[in-house]
Amino acid sequence: MNLSVKIANVTFKNPVTVASGTFGHAEKYYDLEEAKRLGAIVPKTVTFHPQAGNPPVRIFETPSGMINAIGIENPGIDAFIAEKLPAFRKIGVPLIVSILGHTPEQFVGIMEKLNSPAFGGGIAAVELNLSCPNLKFQTLVAQDPQATQALVHKIKAISKFPIIAKLSPNVTDIAVIALAAQDGGADAVSLVNTFNAMAVDVRTQRSRIGNFTGGLSGPAIRPMAVYMVHSVAKAVQVPVIGMGGIMTADDALEFLIAGATMVAVGTANFVNPRAPLEVLQGIEAYMREHKIDDIKDIIGSLKYDKK
Amino acid sequence: MEKIQNIYKVVSNEKLCPQFWRMTFDAPDIVREVKPGQFVHIRTGEGLEPFFRRPFSVYRAQKYVEIFYEAVGPGTKLLSQKKKGDTVDVLGPVGTPFALPPEGTKQVVMIAGGIGVAPMLILSDVLKKKKCELVLLYGGRTRGHVYPMQEFKDGGIKVFVATDDGSVGIKGRVSALFGKIRKDPQTTFLYTCGPDAMMAAVQDFAGQHNLRGQAACEEIMACALGACLGCSIETKHGYRTVCYDGPAFDIHEVIFHP
Ligand SMILES: Cc1cc2nc3c(=O)[nH]c(=O)nc-3n(C[C@H](O)[C@H](O)[C@H](O)COP(=O)(O)OP(=O)(O)OC[C@H]3O[C@@H](n4cnc5c(N)ncnc54)[C@H](O)[C@@H]3O)c2cc1C
Ligand SMILES: Cc1cc2nc3c(=O)[nH]c(=O)nc-3n(C[C@H](O)[C@H](O)[C@H](O)COP(=O)(O)O)c2cc1C
Ligand code: FES
Repeated sequence: MNLSVKIANVTFKNPVTVASGTFGHAEKYYDLEEAKRLGAIVPKTVTFHPQAGNPPVRIFETPSGMINAIGIENPGIDAFIAEKLPAFRKIGVPLIVSILGHTPEQFVGIMEKLNSPAFGGGIAAVELNLSCPNLKFQTLVAQDPQATQALVHKIKAISKFPIIAKLSPNVTDIAVIALAAQDGGADAVSLVNTFNAMAVDVRTQRSRIGNFTGGLSGPAIRPMAVYMVHSVAKAVQVPVIGMGGIMTADDALEFLIAGATMVAVGTANFVNPRAPLEVLQGIEAYMREHKIDDIKDIIGSLKYDKK
Repeated sequence: MEKIQNIYKVVSNEKLCPQFWRMTFDAPDIVREVKPGQFVHIRTGEGLEPFFRRPFSVYRAQKYVEIFYEAVGPGTKLLSQKKKGDTVDVLGPVGTPFALPPEGTKQVVMIAGGIGVAPMLILSDVLKKKKCELVLLYGGRTRGHVYPMQEFKDGGIKVFVATDDGSVGIKGRVSALFGKIRKDPQTTFLYTCGPDAMMAAVQDFAGQHNLRGQAACEEIMACALGACLGCSIETKHGYRTVCYDGPAFDIHEVIFHP
């Protein structure tokens, strides 16, 4: 059975990964032997400078999901390379490093550090977070096709690694942005990041979230995410990494059938730390049951005729 | 690390008084590992509602794991419906435990408000071996909170109670009981858990008398594993996660927002 998939020239042994910001310190709670089975791991987005994140309350439970406004709390690229990366490297699974600059120059600065020979390798690809909704002082790159194309182009030109553009669902037509990323030279696109969201405490008449608004994730967004992955996969030639509310193998298969080449498990990790492994096992079981030898025969296999 | 999420059999689940419940489940691995102040993260329902697990301090860990909880919302109400023989999906033990009092401590004072008493029994079980005097100052709303006190008294702990309505103990806040304890920076050590306003009062008091201590904090949680960075609170060293850096913090470190 072949589960391997490719982004640019990089081969991943299977299509199951985790969504940035949802996997944390893997070494602290995961049996590393088990974590080794994942196709790739995506650590939390790292910025040029350390970032403290947003004031509490940062998360709120909603029907079948959650709102978060973490605010990309992270130690900055230097501390990430020195302190976090070694533990991730130890797992031995290809890493997709997620980066965010507050200016194009910061994106370039981070990229140069990752490119540096001193860095030591271990990275399979770089994901550009163009879509974090929790930094309220700027419009998102991923809400502007020109900005998306220009930024992807700039980073792709200097990157040693394949570039993945992570897109926001908070746009009128996500396929337009995905095409812009492809035109800029992106080797893949990943979607979706969280949906702009808000919840109000009716007793206090205040927002439930310290940062006032946040991003919705979890099963509550899955049908919208599947829709967007489908429309993007039809529009672009590059691989699509699909995510949004994947809890089980069947959820992941929806994305694969709709056209995703890889799938990322996000919020589900918080409810069930073993969710990514169960998703992988479930995909394998599905392939055995349906006598499918190659995962490529599932990807984009959506049928358009009426049954 | 071994798998820290497992399904366990409920041994008992009983209502102790109008507000409080106690659940016991058979988790020998947690009993072996857990330290005072650590907690378990429980999936209260089978489906997607409620979506998050719910955190509960380990109340006691002898033969079984015991949690002591207040049925306040959908998650804890579902939990209260579990019966002997049902199963619970538990992740844990997790969190940084209480630091134990330094050598030379003669009096340990536990100051708890409401359900904040939950981590104190397992703590006193450990502290008993240290041979220091154990005092519990307990503030609750009303008489409904009294039942668990017996377990503390049975353990030889000196218990002083204050209730808002004076139905048990003295009428007033738990801070009205501060007169009951020695205030010696060298030999007194404090532990507190409860509403922020109460812990802020304890912090003030500790500051005035130069007392050392620990506070167990609460915040809404998703992962309980330090992965989501959702449960952060403000401390003098910046944001720290309650689930991973805490729940137990140095009493002087936390910035309370009562
Ligand atoms: C480390 C820790 C230990 C705890 N130990 C105990 C214990 O031993 N006994 C006990 O009765 N309660 C304890 N709590 C509080 C308990 O987790 C909440 O009462 C419970 O989550 C409420 O869930 P619910 O669905 O019934 O109520 P809801 O009000 O519907 O809960 C909604 C959301 O708020 C969160 N939430 C509500 N109140 C709290 C709170 N005080 N702290 C954290 N999250 C909250 C829930 O997790 C959930 O996400 C502890 C909390 C923490 C953080
Ligand atoms: C707590 C939390 C933190 C997140 N942090 C990041 C992040 O740092 N970078 C990023 O690109 N996406 C981040 N995301 C978005 C997820 O990677 C993912 O795109 C989104 O949650 C949808 O997938 P899901 O529904 O499976 O979680 C975060 C999501 C959550 C819930
Ligand atoms: S609950 Fe996720 S970091 Fe604490």
